[in-house]
Amino acid sequence: MRAHHLLVAGVLFLASCGGSASPPPATQSAHFPVTLVGSTGVSVTITKQPHRIVSLSPTATEMLFAIGAGPQVVAVDDQSNFPASAPHTKLSGFQPNIEAIAAYAPDLVVAADDIGGLVHGLQAVNIPILIEGPAKTIDDSYRQMVQLGTATGQGAGADSVVAKERSDVAAIVATLAKPTRALKIYHELDSTYYTATSATFIGQVYKVLGLSNIADAATGAAPDYPQLSAEYIVSSNPDLIVLADTNCCRQDRGTVAARPGWSVIAAVKSGEVINVDDDVASRWGPRMIDFLRVVAPHVRDIEKQAA
Amino acid sequence: MLGIFGPRAEPAAGALIALGGLPRLRWVWGAAGFASLLIAAAVGALVGPVHIGLGTVFAALLSHVPWLGSSVSGVDPGQATILWSLRFPRVVLGALVGGMLATAGAAYQGVFRNPLADPYLLGAAAGANLGATLAIAFAPGGSFIGVNLVPLAAFAGAGAAVAGAFALGRTVTGLRTATGLILAGVAVAAFFNAIQTYVQQSQTNSLRQVYSWILGRLVTAGWDGVLLVLPYVALSLVVIYVHRRLLDALSVGEDEVVTLGVSVRRVRLIVVIAATLGTAAVVAVAGTIAFVGIIVPHTIRLLAGRSYRVVVPLSMLFGAAFIVLADTAARTVVSPGELPIGVITAFVGAPFFIAVMRSTRVAAL
Amino acid sequence: MSDVLLAGVSVSYGTKPVLRGLDLDVRSGEWLSLIGPNGAGKTTVLRAIARLARFEGDIRIGGRALAGMGTRDVARRVAMLLQEPQMPAGMTVSQYVLLGRSPHLGYLGKESGKDRRIVADILRRLALDEFASRSLDQLSGGERQRVAIARALAQRAPVLLIDEPTTSLDMGRQQAVLELIDELRAEQELTVIAAMHELTLAGQYSDRLALLVQGALVAVGPPDEILTESAISDHYRANVRIVDMNGSGHAVVPVRK
Repeated sequence: MRAHHLLVAGVLFLASCGGSASPPPATQSAHFPVTLVGSTGVSVTITKQPHRIVSLSPTATEMLFAIGAGPQVVAVDDQSNFPASAPHTKLSGFQPNIEAIAAYAPDLVVAADDIGGLVHGLQAVNIPILIEGPAKTIDDSYRQMVQLGTATGQGAGADSVVAKERSDVAAIVATLAKPTRALKIYHELDSTYYTATSATFIGQVYKVLGLSNIADAATGAAPDYPQLSAEYIVSSNPDLIVLADTNCCRQDRGTVAARPGWSVIAAVKSGEVINVDDDVASRWGPRMIDFLRVVAPHVRDIEKQAA
Repeated sequence: MLGIFGPRAEPAAGALIALGGLPRLRWVWGAAGFASLLIAAAVGALVGPVHIGLGTVFAALLSHVPWLGSSVSGVDPGQATILWSLRFPRVVLGALVGGMLATAGAAYQGVFRNPLADPYLLGAAAGANLGATLAIAFAPGGSFIGVNLVPLAAFAGAGAAVAGAFALGRTVTGLRTATGLILAGVAVAAFFNAIQTYVQQSQTNSLRQVYSWILGRLVTAGWDGVLLVLPYVALSLVVIYVHRRLLDALSVGEDEVVTLGVSVRRVRLIVVIAATLGTAAVVAVAGTIAFVGIIVPHTIRLLAGRSYRVVVPLSMLFGAAFIVLADTAARTVVSPGELPIGVITAFVGAPFFIAVMRSTRVAAL
Repeated sequence: MSDVLLAGVSVSYGTKPVLRGLDLDVRSGEWLSLIGPNGAGKTTVLRAIARLARFEGDIRIGGRALAGMGTRDVARRVAMLLQEPQMPAGMTVSQYVLLGRSPHLGYLGKESGKDRRIVADILRRLALDEFASRSLDQLSGGERQRVAIARALAQRAPVLLIDEPTTSLDMGRQQAVLELIDELRAEQELTVIAAMHELTLAGQYSDRLALLVQGALVAVGPPDEILTESAISDHYRANVRIVDMNGSGHAVVPVRK
């Protein structure tokens, strides 16, 4: 393995010395400097392998640690709660304080959004910042992990994580039968019936599972996170309800069944109302596979019932 | 110029001396109010993201009438559930919310003799928003004695803000003037708003929920929500209604009306407490819906007369109709999605009011 | 009985004393005018009797102390005509005058047929019946003055306080208003206390004058006793001549030196 890697490294090093790097696969040995373009179109040049990474995005934190760049991370934001071993700080990704970030002397900052002049501020103090915004598709998520691999010199780690995810997803999907009719899902973000359409990452995950999202009819209200009316949800009669508001709003099977008029819904009648961790459902990182593993058995059950 | 009819002459009891020019609620307007409320309720019951026919609506209604109900059959249970558990209570709640906010606005305008007064003048909105934000951010999904914590906290917040405004007004100006009370309300509202903004911004997980609550939404807690606000709204409306003559009297100014034997402080206290009670209740359930408390009473003044004997009852009826229609729009314009109702009231209300202003001779308020 | 008694009445606005230990005795049915230079406290005396200003001391109306009375009781005994009454636009004349019946209604009471008849009667007497449905903002200054008087009369209070009844009225209207008040006073046995800066007119219509200077009562008495050149020129710091008009009172004439 080692020799093979060294050979490839050598070839690539000779082939692209001094030029701007190309996207994956990169190799374990640092291939720097490298210029990357983030989600907002802003490009960043990383001159050498970063060892003082600050992450202001919980998803990026998960990705960094999954691909093996954990030891290179010195600070993560206040919302990054996974993995538990990540160096937790009070830095905020929502209201970033440039000085506080700069105090960690980072050589790379990763964020999910350019809020409050973050990019401009960090560029002014010559700190490279890479924006990895919310993924819209599963492939986006893979691309981000690979890009982070390139940015941190953990290209091989990124490649292997992505490959494993792909195969895991395929394995899960293979266990699902083709349903006789489209099975409907309602994904609940909070107790005022905000939901996510197929134009979101979580919506794409449901698509992979072969489910039909009742929120897609409401893209007129908002393309990604519209608010639905109760009577529409009831009359759509979803087969599966996923509650992503267990932490924020303490919703569960019992509270849903108690809502006026909801007891007639197929999902409620058959008990297919599942709770997922709010964080897992709202991030687009490698734990997506955990989410799939929680939801898939229920999809299998419903398919059996519908058959 | 004078004919003197002797010392202290009483007019003969039987003499028909008709006194013209007294404000009366003309029956035409009262009928129009009731009609618009009925039409709005019908529209609200018939229109929605789920298409339900007229016959089904009637059948669903009748099936809940005692003694008649058992004879009604053939109603699709799914649609009946939607109608009875979701749509009907929403229409009724909308009527209560709209009637209450419009009447409270009229009452505040009368008590403070200020055309820009709305039910949130003394900080009720700021207090409710703060209470709701705290509940959503720190105790989501919680409940107290079986009632969801958010409306409870909002109600308590609204009451606390108004009480705070009174306390502040009393220490600063001795409550002698309405202006002092308004200023105190502004100060309290600013303070509560500041805290609310801080909490809201620092609890990013609940940001969307908080915004959604603030912009206003007729949350369908079924008939529970209706029953929750009904006693407060009923009490509040009754108190304001019986004070309509006194609200008229207040328009001559505080000094003068005292010389007429009216205890201004007492009237102000009672009316404000009543209006705030009802406002806090509806805000707790529906969020802070803006505009209703100003648009509806002023439109009625321009069209039907300025006396509170006209404005108060008509505000109840037309305010109710307005919110029922606005809510219907909120759930059909981007169907099956929903818009916050505050967006609709602002969008629709402002141009309508401008149109009314331009077409009617506007007297100085 | 509707005599008004002030004993040791003091009023301060904040720390500034406006009335100091005023003693005044107004007999039932008389017309007493308060005169004096600006800032003397004339309006304050009226406000104290109407209980619009906090006072120390004792004020009694018909023997009953003002301090212990409820707001309604005071309004049934004392009617006040302010210098610039507020006339809300959109209110009709009859509605405005009907407000004068408020002291006789319960807290949430409604006006009865009797109240409406009283108001109709007053409007007729003051030649305002054509204006009954007219909106207040459509009246002239003189008409508004009459409407304000009508409302005060509707109160049927035995004491009538008037603050500057002649301001912004032309000479003819000034006379008309004062004549009207005098006739009504006789007819209804009212006690009238008026603050007036128009000295000649005050002398012609009042039974007695009370001269206030800087919150203290300097002199009380019939007009010909009070309206003397020395008193007026001293306290008003004005150059005046008093002219006896042989049965029609005294004219106070400003003289230019």
